[in-house]
Amino acid sequence: MLIFVQRLGRLVFVFFVVTFVTFFLLDQAPGDPAERFAGLNATPEVIEGIRAELGLNGSLIERYLRWLGNAVRFDFGDSIVTRGFSSWDLIRESLPKTLELMVFAEIMAIGIALPLALASARRPGSFIDKASSSTAFGLLALPAFVLGIYMSFIFGVKLGWFPTIVDNLPGLNDDPLDNLRQMFLPSLTLALNLVAVYLRLLRSDLIDTLQEDYVMLAQARGLTERRIMWRHVLRPSSLNFTTAVGLNIAGLIGGAFIIEVLFAINGMGRLVIQSVILEDFNVVAAVVAILTVAYVMMNFLVDVLYSILDPRIRHAAR
Amino acid sequence: MPLVEPGPTGLKTEAEAVAAIEGGNPGQNRRLSLTFWLSAGWIFALVFLALFRDVLPIRDPDELGIRTREVTKFESPSWNAFFGGDGQGRDIFARVVQGARPALILGLTVTIIGGILGSAVGVTSGYLRGKVDTITTVFIDIALAFPGLVLLIAVRATFGNSMFVFIVLFSLTSIPGYARIVRGASFALSERDFVDAAAAMGATKRRVILRELAPNIALPVLSFAFIGFALVIVAEGGLAFIGLSLDEITWGKLIADGAGDIGKHAHVALFPATVMFLTILAFNLVGDSMRALYSPREVATQRRLRVGPVADTGSGDEVLYIDDLFTALHTPSGDVHAVDGVSLSVKAGEALGVVGESGSGKTMILRSIVGAFALADVTRTGTVEVTGVDMLRAEPADIRHTLGTQIGMVSQNPLTALNPVRLIEHQITEPMLVHTNMSKSEARARALELMKQVGIPAPQRRLREYPHQLSGGMRQRVTIAMALANEPALLLADEPTTALDVTVQDQILRLLSDLQRDRQMAMVLVTHDLAVVKGFTDRVAIVYGGEVIESGPTEQIFTNPRHRYTVALIQSMPDLDLPSHSELTTIEGTPPSLISPPRGCRFAARCPAAQDICNTTPASADETSEHWFRCHFPADDDAKENV
Repeated sequence: MLIFVQRLGRLVFVFFVVTFVTFFLLDQAPGDPAERFAGLNATPEVIEGIRAELGLNGSLIERYLRWLGNAVRFDFGDSIVTRGFSSWDLIRESLPKTLELMVFAEIMAIGIALPLALASARRPGSFIDKASSSTAFGLLALPAFVLGIYMSFIFGVKLGWFPTIVDNLPGLNDDPLDNLRQMFLPSLTLALNLVAVYLRLLRSDLIDTLQEDYVMLAQARGLTERRIMWRHVLRPSSLNFTTAVGLNIAGLIGGAFIIEVLFAINGMGRLVIQSVILEDFNVVAAVVAILTVAYVMMNFLVDVLYSILDPRIRHAAR
Repeated sequence: MPLVEPGPTGLKTEAEAVAAIEGGNPGQNRRLSLTFWLSAGWIFALVFLALFRDVLPIRDPDELGIRTREVTKFESPSWNAFFGGDGQGRDIFARVVQGARPALILGLTVTIIGGILGSAVGVTSGYLRGKVDTITTVFIDIALAFPGLVLLIAVRATFGNSMFVFIVLFSLTSIPGYARIVRGASFALSERDFVDAAAAMGATKRRVILRELAPNIALPVLSFAFIGFALVIVAEGGLAFIGLSLDEITWGKLIADGAGDIGKHAHVALFPATVMFLTILAFNLVGDSMRALYSPREVATQRRLRVGPVADTGSGDEVLYIDDLFTALHTPSGDVHAVDGVSLSVKAGEALGVVGESGSGKTMILRSIVGAFALADVTRTGTVEVTGVDMLRAEPADIRHTLGTQIGMVSQNPLTALNPVRLIEHQITEPMLVHTNMSKSEARARALELMKQVGIPAPQRRLREYPHQLSGGMRQRVTIAMALANEPALLLADEPTTALDVTVQDQILRLLSDLQRDRQMAMVLVTHDLAVVKGFTDRVAIVYGGEVIESGPTEQIFTNPRHRYTVALIQSMPDLDLPSHSELTTIEGTPPSLISPPRGCRFAARCPAAQDICNTTPASADETSEHWFRCHFPADDDAKENV
């Protein structure tokens, strides 16, 4: 258990450092949000009032702690630009789309990478192995926005199967078919980058495991190749893969932001970019906080999953 | 989420850097491939165009087509304008060339600054370790956790978007990636002898780092630097795409600008996108080729199991019948003739010892019976029959059934023979559930019974545990229980005691022998240790260089060894009956290569009695006799002559 406590402690520390640094950086930005909020003809008194109202008084540490105290209750302050909306309102509006994008991408990526890795590892050097390895290498050189352009061009423009722009996205519950059709290209674009990473990782770990004695003995016991792959080889080979999936969440968020811009999805990415350009820093800080929490939680989950997958770690942790 | 991150691939890269050092064959020269030169050529062309843009006949990237009338709006690609024109009639080729400048400047400066600073951090923490290392890892962790995009957004809002700000920012974010790789590499290196030697000779730490570590880390870092270079280009492109990049023309911006016209004028976005893709690919390929220079490539052998012509078939009363078995492993360095014309047979209730030193091919005989070779390309020729089933040519399902029900196998190392992530219970019941009609509860009851039979205390509890919770001896008992699960007719034991404590060895051997006698199983006991064979087998086959060179009843082999190799083996055995001052003999030399075995007797090069004929002609033997050997000048003959 001690290891878990240590890990958790470290992650909490990460959260504080990241949010504080962001808070500090945003504080350095030129311009006074209170003045902008008040408008052009505001008197100094009015500005002062707004400043107090927005919680802009006091030292940096004081303000950070106040912000943190409110953030725990999901109160991230009002959006300065879109008056009347709180930062949390805006995030709640956009978060589901980003989440959907990321979950779809993750499912697609694992769905593509896993069978390919299994097929490649079974017969290293075979056609399927060589083909998937070179494709993966090519995909690694395709940033999300370049790949997205290619995907739009091929599937959207030339073949016309999917829309190149997400427009008026219906909820997944309301019109699942239209929702999936619109989200397909963005999710696939995001997924293909992950496929490359997962495939390489899984394949090489699978090949390592396949050389193990216990796999040879499983063969000698007359088990079918399929059973050996799924029951004996996959789980011991999935440790690095699990880490990669967990760590990738951070990278995935960055990728998702770009995809959102490319396919015009009104998710968190577009929200934060707009907020930066319009200097709506309450929203920016709120998004950072949410992302960091998500990242920290994913890391912790990976640790837990790790110990479920590998009993040796579970017992060492006790 | 740093902008310039090694990403999840970094995880691998670090391990690779370590593997490179541990595998360590720096002297091995490999040729760089064609793809490397193509990639290098692309990068060179890019640099050339970016440098000499002004003197080359390339249009002004900002010149509008309306004024010059050279390029029309959305002009299609042609010889006039290679990449066509954009919405304002500007030459896209000229703009892409212009965009190469910031990409290269940014990539180069960031790679140099980040690489140097990151390597410094990594070497210091990897070599000095202790507190320095702990602090560094925490910082690397935080840096990797930091939402880099957001950091950049915040910084950009504060400090603007000049090239200088970008260089500083990208350099900072690239430090953790380099630090991780270098840390891993120097960690592994600092344990190597030559580093210790330098330290022992009184070199200061700084000196060791600079003189000994740095040159060995240079190649991994350089190879990562190329990949890092590409990552910088990607990062800038991503920012440009969301409208937060430099003011100058960059590739990312060109792509972003063209993205809106993808429906009608796809070339506006596609050309810059493709140039960017090829550039990143080129950098990755160069980095990868360099990695191939220091890290040995993976085995690309295809897993194949081929079968050659059949030899004689057994009479039916043997449990195991092997005739004229040849097993060849096809490897890049040549065919390994691991089993070279071996014939063996074992009847029910009989125990055969197969003795040979490591590399003699004795384990490969067992592998050839069960057909399990991990990742290798193997051809087996001859006959292997188990209870009358042709293990080389029968239907796969029949072979599997025979493997599962007629053969039990115990391997050398109980630490690796059990799957670390599966419960003991599942591992023991699996063969029963797969190959018989037993229900789960029946199989569980039988597993418990087996655990008792092989002498495991508290079997009920042990069944619900994982292999790592058991001692080595206990684990070997578990593998024996697994081997017995389906009441096999044939037990194959591959050095079952080698990896165990001396005190446990005898217990395990007795257990195996008792089980074999009680159940009237046929057993093949493979070992390098003649002493193991002595009390536990009926017959012995001595294996050398992939061949059986002598075979006979165990008693006779010990009392009347004929082949010179057997004699030497027996003499090298410690014997408690002899006075303590009697010398143990060792066999000089090494076993023959299995890739190109000697033409004559395989043992000739090490044999004290060898004569010319031994080097040219293999000795023949009558393998049907009870005790036979393959030797021109067998031991007993000259003993008789001497008398």
